[in-house]
Amino acid sequence: MQKAEKRSVLHMLDPMPHVSPFDINMAVDAGFDHVFPTDNVQLDQVNGLVQDAIFSRGPSGVKRTGIFIGGRDIGVALNMLEAARKAMVPPFVVSVLADPSGAFTTAAALVACVERQLKSRHGDELKGAQAVVFGGTGPVGIATAVIASLAGANVTIVDPFNVDHALDKAREYNERCGSTMVGTYASSDADKARLLAQADVIFCTAKAGVQVLNASVLSDATQLKVAGDVNAVPPLGIEGIKRSHDGEPLLHAVNAAGALGIGALAVGDIKYKLQNALLASLLSSETPLYIDFRRAFEEARRLV
Amino acid sequence: MEKLEKPYILHMFTPEKNLSPFDVNMALDAGWTSAIPYLHVEPQDIQALVQDAIFSRSPGGLKRTGIFIGGRDAKMAVDMVRSAMKSMVPPFEVSVFADPSGAFTTAAAMVAVVEQALENHFHTTLEGKKVLALGGTGPVGQIAATLAAKAGAEVTIIGRQLEKAQAMAHLCDSEFGDGQTQIIGDADAHKGDLITDADIVFATAAAGIEVLSSELIALASSLKIAADVNAVPPSGIAGLDAHHRAHPIAGSESGALGVGALAIGHIKYKTQSALLKRMRETTHPIYLSFDDAFELAREFARAN
Repeated sequence: MQKAEKRSVLHMLDPMPHVSPFDINMAVDAGFDHVFPTDNVQLDQVNGLVQDAIFSRGPSGVKRTGIFIGGRDIGVALNMLEAARKAMVPPFVVSVLADPSGAFTTAAALVACVERQLKSRHGDELKGAQAVVFGGTGPVGIATAVIASLAGANVTIVDPFNVDHALDKAREYNERCGSTMVGTYASSDADKARLLAQADVIFCTAKAGVQVLNASVLSDATQLKVAGDVNAVPPLGIEGIKRSHDGEPLLHAVNAAGALGIGALAVGDIKYKLQNALLASLLSSETPLYIDFRRAFEEARRLV
Repeated sequence: MEKLEKPYILHMFTPEKNLSPFDVNMALDAGWTSAIPYLHVEPQDIQALVQDAIFSRSPGGLKRTGIFIGGRDAKMAVDMVRSAMKSMVPPFEVSVFADPSGAFTTAAAMVAVVEQALENHFHTTLEGKKVLALGGTGPVGQIAATLAAKAGAEVTIIGRQLEKAQAMAHLCDSEFGDGQTQIIGDADAHKGDLITDADIVFATAAAGIEVLSSELIALASSLKIAADVNAVPPSGIAGLDAHHRAHPIAGSESGALGVGALAIGHIKYKTQSALLKRMRETTHPIYLSFDDAFELAREFARAN
């Protein structure tokens, strides 16, 4: 009789009090037979937890085992991912996916959707483009900025209030990820209009339910080609972009010919497929994977 | 190829530091594929957890997603169900079932079994009967008192301290009774007087405390049924065995019958299992609490 394949197990490590039910549903639907949440995980516990997970199943069992790192803070998640990678003891090695608050897959999907429109409709690319990330100091914003910067865009992250916060975040993640973003702040419509006047690409990753760019500010854009918004809760982040838009004309950018908008549902559709594919890849990959937003972006490009 | 059906995921919330292994077993035996624990959940966490749970599955997948609310506190569980209901965003909506410490299904089973014994052996109903809930300040006592009062009984909750018993009676009326109940709170010290014209006794004290002694039984000249939820000897009612199903109580001049914990537990088990299955099988989201448990327990008690 053929031996049955071992059941698949996903250990979900989270620095917060609860692993996200969203991610648990995604993991089960991606085909994991068992998902085990471990809450309140500190960075210094990652080594012990990972080694505990890899040593009990044998080399065939580790192929059926994965680790997911959640939480809310992308710096903490990146540190945990690195700690998990270092904890492996070949051949006892498992794949690890980090996606705190879904920020990595959301950012990867956003940049991939914007890049697709930029290429197909404007014959342009991210390399050399002026990109502005509003809400750029939050988890999705920073991941978006790093991905776009590594793809060659000149990226500015925008904090709504605090320039020091934006500068600190830009410096921190440039050092960590090798990106070259710059930081600024924009509290008034005049500040936003100045940024828009120079922008080829806009990413809006601000808080849900907050309109960041109104029609009047958008009329200051002159070279804007594509704007993407991840906010799904009205009022949406960019006036005139509907949630379902995926390359529709950007209504209020009246002085930027051919400017296009992408809404939260178009991004969300790719994000969903992306997270599902990355979770499934933890089991299907022949070699162990350590997946953060950079690897997520490669997969998102393939999906769009 | 036929598409694989989505697995059944039950998100199990508890304010306590552990989920009840009893409830986890019940959920898996009722056909849920994954039973996921969330510990130390506070009322203010509910909205975020619920919304996280509903947005990562399609409407078809959501029919296979549920939320169970455990814990030890009846009011907190009821509040959590209300909060979960308010957090749904139709069509993104899932079923919710609350059964803290199994108290809702245990109380429902006890009242249903007592009601059935009244009908079978005394040809009467709960309407107008004097019920004493002894040791009734805990969750099982609160809900049993509420259900009996809703069925028309005159219920008194008795505890060691008068103030606490009165507070619990008030809590039942204001939080659980839907304006249909007027439960009284009284102290252990008055048990000797109150027992003389009591028709029914619910013993819902902690294990190992005898709340109805043989002296009190001798004074109970109207007593018809006495039921005890404690399965661990010594019994909460003198002379009662956990296996008793409408068995004569020694020393009762009124011919009272005793109902033990295993007779109640049998109906409780069926009720909890059926509610967990109903959540899985329903096509429209449902919110299950003690009233639903009682309706079902009555059917099981009648068929028993």
